[in-house]
Amino acid sequence: MSTYATPGAGPVVHDPATLPADDNVNAYTFCVELKGSQWFLQKGKMIAYYGSIDFNGIGHGPLDRLVRTSFHSPLHASDWVVAEGSGKMLLADRAFDVNSFDLDDGNLTIRSGNLLAFQPSLALKQSIVPGFLTLIGTGKFVAASNGPVVFMEPPIRVDPQALVGWADCPSPCHHYDHGYMTGVLGGLRALTGIGGASGEEHQFEFAGAGTVLLQSTEQLMAEQAVGALPQQAGVPGGGTSGGHGSQAGTPRLPGQLGDLQRRFGL
Amino acid sequence: MFRLQGSKVLAVDMTGDAVKAKNGSMVAYDGQMAFKKLSGGGEGLRGMVTRRITGEQMTVMEVKGHGTCWFADRATEINLVALQGDKLYVEASNLLATDAGLRTGTTFTGVRGASQGNGLFTTTVEGHGQAAITSDGPAVVLRVSPQYPLTVDPGAYVAHQGNLRQSFQSGVTFRTLMGEGGGEAFQIRFEGDGLVYVQPSERTTIAGDV
Repeated sequence: MSTYATPGAGPVVHDPATLPADDNVNAYTFCVELKGSQWFLQKGKMIAYYGSIDFNGIGHGPLDRLVRTSFHSPLHASDWVVAEGSGKMLLADRAFDVNSFDLDDGNLTIRSGNLLAFQPSLALKQSIVPGFLTLIGTGKFVAASNGPVVFMEPPIRVDPQALVGWADCPSPCHHYDHGYMTGVLGGLRALTGIGGASGEEHQFEFAGAGTVLLQSTEQLMAEQAVGALPQQAGVPGGGTSGGHGSQAGTPRLPGQLGDLQRRFGL
Repeated sequence: MFRLQGSKVLAVDMTGDAVKAKNGSMVAYDGQMAFKKLSGGGEGLRGMVTRRITGEQMTVMEVKGHGTCWFADRATEINLVALQGDKLYVEASNLLATDAGLRTGTTFTGVRGASQGNGLFTTTVEGHGQAAITSDGPAVVLRVSPQYPLTVDPGAYVAHQGNLRQSFQSGVTFRTLMGEGGGEAFQIRFEGDGLVYVQPSERTTIAGDV
């Protein structure tokens, strides 16, 4: 029928019949099939589609009901849209690896920049950990990672840049190596890098039962400013942009370590 | 005679014939090769002037000799396109190499180019032979047929071939201006019969934020 078939030679040519439904086209491209259904999708991650699909911002009036049941993150509302219609839609992000994951009545927390799309049967909430989002419920979501995702079981300590997310783990926390704590010299070394810092003194620690998702490089997606949480007692990061309850009136300098420097009188 | 060695290096076996390639994209060769810069992409004086005017600049060299020559460009993925008398439309920055027998030129693309930040013009390649185009991540080749038109994000568009009409769709409404846009305000719609190459990555376009 078409004159542009290249049998045997050249790349695989896709059309709506050969594109997979809700599966990967290749490691970097994911195909979502819409049959009158809806998907939440991060802005600008759609690269092409067949059929008729509408993209509407979260604030679009007719979407009110949907947003009320499955979108609970006002800070990220401007980054997300709802795709609605019928057809097949291709998603990709900066040529990073994309993968879909199924949640079955579960919960998963993921770095906000890594989440590309999710089904409305899942509910999106902001994690208490700043910069992370939590998905709760049953359904499929699509996430990007730089290099394939590796699944690990806690207890585990991971590099902050390699962390993509975690499922079912109750207690992620910071872990600092012993050298940070020993005397003024250790503190100075960590602050200035003079005297040799390996760059691996600080990790995230996970304990309990669950799964930790890691990417195989330490390159992060560019973090998007999404504003700040309301200033409220007991809300981590509330009112400040990403810090942990820093002293009012003393702006934190880059390279400073939590409130650890107070121990050294720095 | 074009073949891929891995997905990011193009190997061209030559027996006295020539290929046109992006200037400086040769990474290795064996045998005897001569490299000659082609001013204006070998399109003659008129082509040179057109390229200068349209901003669709392309610095091209002609490689001629006996042996194998390898080409690569900033570790981008390379896709081979076979042309049988039809026309390939590609951004000049995505064109790595063509058979010397293929004619290249420039054409007006309309508003699509402007939204992409690539200017209003694009490069065409036509004739019989092979061309190699680059993309950020392996390109997905999508067929467009009369019953299945395709809509593409301008930032992910790399190239298309065949008998396609493209129209530019803008979904800019007052809601976009209020910061409540759909995120996909600018789209290119392809209708007809042909192939479209999209990359799994989006260039930064002015459309990216609306």
